[in-house]
Formats: sequence, structure tokens, C-alpha cells
Amino acid sequence: MQSDFDKLLKVCRIRLDKEEKEKMEKELEEIIKYFDVLDSVRIEEVNEQRAKVERLRKDEVKQFDNIEGLLKNTKTYRFYVVGPKV
Amino acid sequence: MSSINSIEEFASIEKGGDYYQKLLEELARLNERLHAFSNINSSINSFPFSAKDNLCVKGVETTASSKILDGYIPPYNATAVERLLNNGFSFLGKTNMDEFGFGSFGINAQEIVRNPFDERYVAGGSSSGAAVATSILKYHVAIAESTGGSIATPASFCGVVGFTPTYSTISRYGLIDYSNSMDKIGIMARTAKDIRPIFDLIRGPDGYDSTTSDLSITSINKKKLIVIDQLLDLVDQRIRELFEKMLDKLNAKGYSIEHRSIDLIDASIASYYIIAMAEASTNLARYTGFKYGFKIEDFDKGYNEFFTEARSVFGEEAKRRILLGTFVRSANVKDKYYFKALKVRDMLSSRLEKILEEGFIILPVMPIPAPKIEDAKKLTPLQVYKMDALTIPPNLCGLPHISFPYAYDNGLPLGAEVITSKFNDYAIIDFVEEWEEDFEYKFKYKIGEVK
Amino acid sequence: MKIGLEVHVSLPTKSKLFCSCSTKASEPNSAVCPICMGFPGAKPMLNEEALRFAVSIANALHCNINDRVSFVRKVYFYPDLPKSYQITQLYEPIGINGFVECCDGKRIGIRRIQLEEDAAKIIRGDDYTLLDFNRSGIPLVEIVTEPDIKSEDELRSFLTELTSILYYLGIDIEGELKTDLNISLADARVEVKNITGIRNLIDAARYEIQRQEKLIKSGAKVAQETRSYIEAKKETVGTREKETEEEYGFIPEPDLTSYDITHIPKIKPVYASKIAEEYAKAYNVDKKLIAEFILFDKHALELIDATKDKYEMKYILNGIGLIKKYRKGEIKLEAFEKLLELIKEGGYIDEETLSKIEKGEQISTESLNIELIKKEVRELLTPSIKLNYKKNPKIINFIIGKITTKYKVSPREVAEIVKEEISD
Repeated sequence: MQSDFDKLLKVCRIRLDKEEKEKMEKELEEIIKYFDVLDSVRIEEVNEQRAKVERLRKDEVKQFDNIEGLLKNTKTYRFYVVGPKV
Repeated sequence: MSSINSIEEFASIEKGGDYYQKLLEELARLNERLHAFSNINSSINSFPFSAKDNLCVKGVETTASSKILDGYIPPYNATAVERLLNNGFSFLGKTNMDEFGFGSFGINAQEIVRNPFDERYVAGGSSSGAAVATSILKYHVAIAESTGGSIATPASFCGVVGFTPTYSTISRYGLIDYSNSMDKIGIMARTAKDIRPIFDLIRGPDGYDSTTSDLSITSINKKKLIVIDQLLDLVDQRIRELFEKMLDKLNAKGYSIEHRSIDLIDASIASYYIIAMAEASTNLARYTGFKYGFKIEDFDKGYNEFFTEARSVFGEEAKRRILLGTFVRSANVKDKYYFKALKVRDMLSSRLEKILEEGFIILPVMPIPAPKIEDAKKLTPLQVYKMDALTIPPNLCGLPHISFPYAYDNGLPLGAEVITSKFNDYAIIDFVEEWEEDFEYKFKYKIGEVK
Repeated sequence: MKIGLEVHVSLPTKSKLFCSCSTKASEPNSAVCPICMGFPGAKPMLNEEALRFAVSIANALHCNINDRVSFVRKVYFYPDLPKSYQITQLYEPIGINGFVECCDGKRIGIRRIQLEEDAAKIIRGDDYTLLDFNRSGIPLVEIVTEPDIKSEDELRSFLTELTSILYYLGIDIEGELKTDLNISLADARVEVKNITGIRNLIDAARYEIQRQEKLIKSGAKVAQETRSYIEAKKETVGTREKETEEEYGFIPEPDLTSYDITHIPKIKPVYASKIAEEYAKAYNVDKKLIAEFILFDKHALELIDATKDKYEMKYILNGIGLIKKYRKGEIKLEAFEKLLELIKEGGYIDEETLSKIEKGEQISTESLNIELIKKEVRELLTPSIKLNYKKNPKIINFIIGKITTKYKVSPREVAEIVKEEISD
């Protein structure tokens, strides 16, 4: 799972050092092996547990009442939110 | 035993001029050892409630006990919080928890939470602080949250009542998401009498959460308690003995006790963790170090590098769940894990629904007594996950359940859970109220009590 | 040659797809909220009008419309994606297997139509990016075609037809189309991502066709890759790796249920190009002319439909041409009919005349003719006639004669006009 695990880390934007990687990979293998218990379950068709309520919102404008509080959490520059370069 | 709830009692007692100040001082002192609260509000002037730190409170730092949200100040209130504030309750503070809800013992919190009955022991998780706060404050209710058992477990370890309602009855707007299809806001209190009035205040449809239900709540009690054998088999011998004694007591009160079998125990645990982690991995993707919470400023790094650097402050369990959750929903294994897990959830729901038509299910909450903190730390992740075997079935299927203390062993409380069908929530609250008629709660602390 | 498109259309709803923020904001980050900025704890609330537009588009493009639709999370990391996932559709989209008729009787297949949210607006800096979340959460309909388009001309024709259909559903594109273009001349499929507007789309296609043709001719292989279109250079260039489906890790959106859309009222589609064809045949006029008038002008079509039983189509088209010239197409039906009357009588109509018609003033064909007469007189008045008039006034008699035979006007009047024109 070596390069697969590296790929997984990359996809998740998670970084681990060498020790952490070894430990994590072992733990994940053990857990995924446990998850494989699902393979022995034979599927029975039952009523799918879908939520019953279908809620739709009317197309009306309602301005959020605390945009200032919202943006205080970010770093802004002239009303724009600053982020990493692409 | 009083027949009024704590809110009514609180209104009737004589509070001196410095009542609240004294309460806060005492609380702060105890909190320094127990770490129930991550912050305490200094301006309270009515019946207090606490909010688990994954519930947004406007203007109050809310971190879900994660470093990646350090400094996040929500610009709005979670609906559950808003409804309590609008009804005259005072916000007391944010209670500590396992990071994002990832944990069963309260040891994945930014500050480990300690059991008030014996500080060497865990308080349970992930709503650790909520349970401790409820256990130490005389007049207070805790708003907490459960995804896989995070209300029942700490409630049972801390000797309080922990109520997890039917999924969709309480709006999740403002709840920092762990697993959207299974997160449920709930209530902890020192008596079941406090649960229903708070439940009725905070539940109900909310336009801001498209999954909320408007179905009415019932109280149907068939006077039958059903034990699931395969689950009871997982429990420690000693706990089983005490549990059976409780069943005898209930039998004498007019409940018939029956046993049923269910398969899919391990599959349910796997199903729960697969679904929960899959959803969690998507919910945690938004934490990238520049919109809120923990921020870094090396914008010139390039976004992938930037995100990875910021996300390195996630705790170990959070990283583990992000990795696993991403794995189980990746294209080449998605059918095997994620979609299969959804089907298993449906199958288990169908089985449980059938059983619950006959009566309540009753079980111990945890297979072991509360472990010492140092022992809990030694458990492997998989060992910890398997501890949820008893709370996962109702949580996975969105069924209402309530945890209540039934015994004290070695000075620590033991809790049992009663589960019922969806929307029959009042019935299990009433059940515990009935249980309380001849059960004596033991609490080590009673902060706020007027003698 | 196979050309396929993934066209993204912004819907003209008042509020965003999943929150009540306005879709029309000017100042950056002024129409934002916890939901569209992906703040912790916020959850989506589906806009019913966006659903209606999406269903109407699927219907207009002859799709099989699903009874129930649902949403998924498409996970990827980019600064303009506030939740690091986009709520879009995959398993139960709005509609599938439709078509657009264009390109002289051809059908371009529509594979799927889905509803999804837009990302924030990104302004690239050297050492950072600036983000405006006003755009984040705006409803988009994604239209995915089959690779049935076979040439630049077909591409043009398809886009004209599509945008005309959208126009008549109330969706005015105004160059805001964002498209991913898939072109393969050989085996390799090249994707050109994120092309804004129709002009750029056609230019990008043209460049890409030429590029691939050149490569094939020289015996080289065309690489299967993702490219970007550089507007300034009118070229496509290779870019970074495309994320594979595996990395998107789609899961059903757990904060939204599935929705029964069978009862959603659809906006009635209008196929203006078909109407143009019909009318061209029925009234023996130029199809291109009618099409030009009505493809993106509902008002013009209304006027035509209101008058086609009373007047000859050639007069009507004449009239439409005039009001498009002088009035940008706006006129009341009553005034339009009066205009047609005058056209029928052969009158000369200019801006001033049109004003008079609209004011309801009585206009005689005669007074109209004055302008026409003046025009003709000017044409007949050569410089030499002008010079010789003083010496020989009778030189203009032939002009007077010509005009009086053509128009109902007295010789004396004509003489006055000629004298005026000469003295100018």
C-alpha cells in the first residue's frame, strides 16, 4: 500500500513524518481489514431509509445580518478575502 | 423526590446578590482540574445551559476542540442555542469534547476531561465536558451532540441522564458537522424531568436545516423491555450482573423482559465508521487555514502546500478519520465499503424497527466500566471503535435513546440505555422519570446548590 | 472529428442556489453568508426557482426528466471552493438523453443536465489570491453534450440554437457562458477547460482543430491532456494534471434529501429557429432574416405573430427592421400596426416619422413623401445643374416633371423644394 498511501495523503492534503506514517499505515490496515467484515454480509433489499421531508426554499433575497462578523474571521484586503496563490 | 423540574425549582429558590458570582468562582476552580469547560461566560443571570464546543455561539470562540478552529468566532447562533437564549436561559459556556466528536473517552480533547467521581478516570466522550458539567452543577442543562454514542457514553460514565432524540427532530444548523446523516443534538440533565421541557423548546422544523422533520412526538410504552443477546454478550461480567439486577427491579415494576437475537453486530460497527468517516472526511476538507480558525499567512506557498501545512494541526484521530473516510469513498472501493455500509444501515434499521414494535430495547451503554485515563490512552484505534458496539445500533439508525445511571460500582456510575422507535421520544423520557421514582442519584458536586 | 461541450449556464434567480444571498452584488463579499462561504455549521437550502429553471432547460432540450433528483458532494481542494467540495449532481441529475436540433437538420445529443453551485471569483496575484465570494453559490446548470459536433460551423450553429432556446426560457447569456471543450480529431481526447463566452469558445475550437490537424499531418501523436485557452494569444496551452474521478470521492449530499420534481411547473420552450423556418416557407421570405430578427428578440416575435394575419410578411419584416434601427426593437403593437400601414402605402419613414406614429399623430403619406422627394431631388441635382440654374431656371423642369409623375405633389411645391436644395 506504500505509494497508494502516499497518494491518499496527498489527496487529503495531510502530511505525516516517517514515524507517524508507519504507525498510521499499520493502524489503517488493521481497521480496513475489520471493515472487510462487510464482504460476508448478504444484501437484503429493504425500504431505503430516506428522509421524508422535502424542503424547498422560496427564491427571495435575505441579506445575512452579520457580514462584518463573518469576514472578521478571515484576512481581508480591500473587501477581498486573501488566500494562497494558485 | 421532588416532582418539579430543576428549572422550576431554580425559579423558586432564594438566590442571594452574589449567587451567580459564587457559582462561577466555584465552577472555575473545579474546572481547572476537570476541564469540563473550554470557556466560561462571566455574565449569567438566569437558569444556565452549556453548549458542546461544536455548537456555534455567536461571538464566542467555538473550536470543536480542534486546533484548526482556534480563534473561530461564529457570526451566528446554532438554532438550538438561539431557541434557548430566546426563552430566557443564560449561556454558561462551551463544554469540552473529543476533537470534532472523534472519540469515546474524552481523551482526544485539547484538554483531557476528567471524571468528577474519580479524576483518574475518563469522563467518556465525545460530549465529555457536557456530562461533567451536568454532574457537578446543581441547576444546569447541557446541550450536547451524539453521532455514534457521544451523549449516552459520557452520561453513563458521569452518572447523569443523557437523551439523544430521533435524528431530524432538532435542527443541526450551527452544529459543526461530523457526520451529517447521523449527528443529533441532545440534552443532558441531572433528572429526566428536565429533559422534556428543554427538548420541546429546541426541537422542531428549521428552514436552515433541510433535514429537520415536523412529525409529532409520541409516548407509547408497551411495558416490555427487550435485551439483544449478542450485544449483552460483549459486556463485562461484573456489569452484566448489575445490569441483570436492574432488569429484575424493572420486572417487579411491571415490565416484561425478553431476549432477542440480532446479527450484523460487527457489520454495524463497520458500517457506522465507514459512513461517519466518509462524511467526516468531506466535512473537514473545508479547513484549509485561511477562512476561519487557525490561519497561516504564507500565501505565496502555493495552495496545495499551504493547505497541507495548515491541516497538519489536526489531531491524530482526526487525521486517521480523514484518511479512512477518503479511502472508503474512493472510486475503486466505494461499492465495497461506502455503498455496502449504506445498505447494512438500512438492513439494521429494518431489523431494529421490527423489534421496537414490541417494546423498548434495553442494554448497558458501555461494555466496560470507565477506564483510567492512562489505560484508555493505551487502546488501539480499533479497540476504541469496538467499544461503541452498544451505542452504535441506535445512533446508526437515528433512533431515540436515553442513558441513565442504574448502579455505582467502585465509586463510579454505570449507565443503561433504553431505545425506542423513531419519534416515540417522549416514551423513553417518561420511562426514566418513572425509574427515578425509586432510584437515588449520587453526585459528588452540587455547584449552585442553595442550602 | 468529435467535439463535445460541458456548458455552464448561470441561472437568473434572485437568490443563490443554497442560501438567500442576492445573486446581484457589486461590492466584493457583500452578498455572502455562512452557507456560501462554507463556514462551519452552515447547511444548504435548495432554491425552488433554480430547480424550476433547471427542469425547464431539461424539458426544452428534450431530455428524459428524472422523477426524483438528488445531489452529491464533489470533493477537491482549491481556494475558490469554500467547502472544498462542490454540491452538484451525479446519480440522479435533472435530465438525460436529450438533443438540440441545429446544423441544418442535425441533432446534437445532450447527455445530461445537472444543477450545481458556482465557486467564488478568484483574482490571481503573484504571491497570493484575492477571493470574492459573491459568486460562490450562484446556481449553475451544466449541460453536457455528446461529442456529436463535427466542425466549427456546427459548433456555431449549436451555440446559436442553444442560446436562443435559453433566451426564450428567460436566461439571457450575455457572454457569461463558461464551457469546457472536448475535441478529438484522432484517438486522444483533449479537454480545454474554463472558456468564458461564445467568441472565445469558437476561437479556442478553431485553434485546437488546427493544432491537432498539424500534429496529425506531421505524423506526431496528439497527447490526451487538459489544456487552457489564453484569450490574449488566442491559443490553447497545456496545463497541470486533471483530477481523476477517483479523487473526487463523490458521496450523496447528506444535508439534502431527494426531491420529487414531477410537479414542478415548466417554462414553455420556444424554438425560434424552427419558427423562422416555418414562416420563411409559409410566407416566402428569407429564413436568415426572420431568424436574425427573432432568435434573441421575444418582442419582435410577438409583433410578428400579432400582425402576420393582417399584413404581408415582407411589410412586417420591413417594419421590424425599422424599429430595430430606430428603437432597439421596442414599440407598442398599436404603433407598429400604424407603421405597417404606412409601409404598405409606400411611405418614406425615418426617426421623426416614427416618433409621430408613436405619439399617435396623423400622418399623411403625402408629408412622408416630402422626405423621399427631397432625397430624390438631391440625387437628380448634379453640380452642373446647380451652377447653371441662375442663368437658366428652366433647367430644373425635367426634375419637376419626373417627381410629379411619381408622387402626388404639385409642380409648385416641387419647384420650392428644388430651389431650397440648390441654395443649400
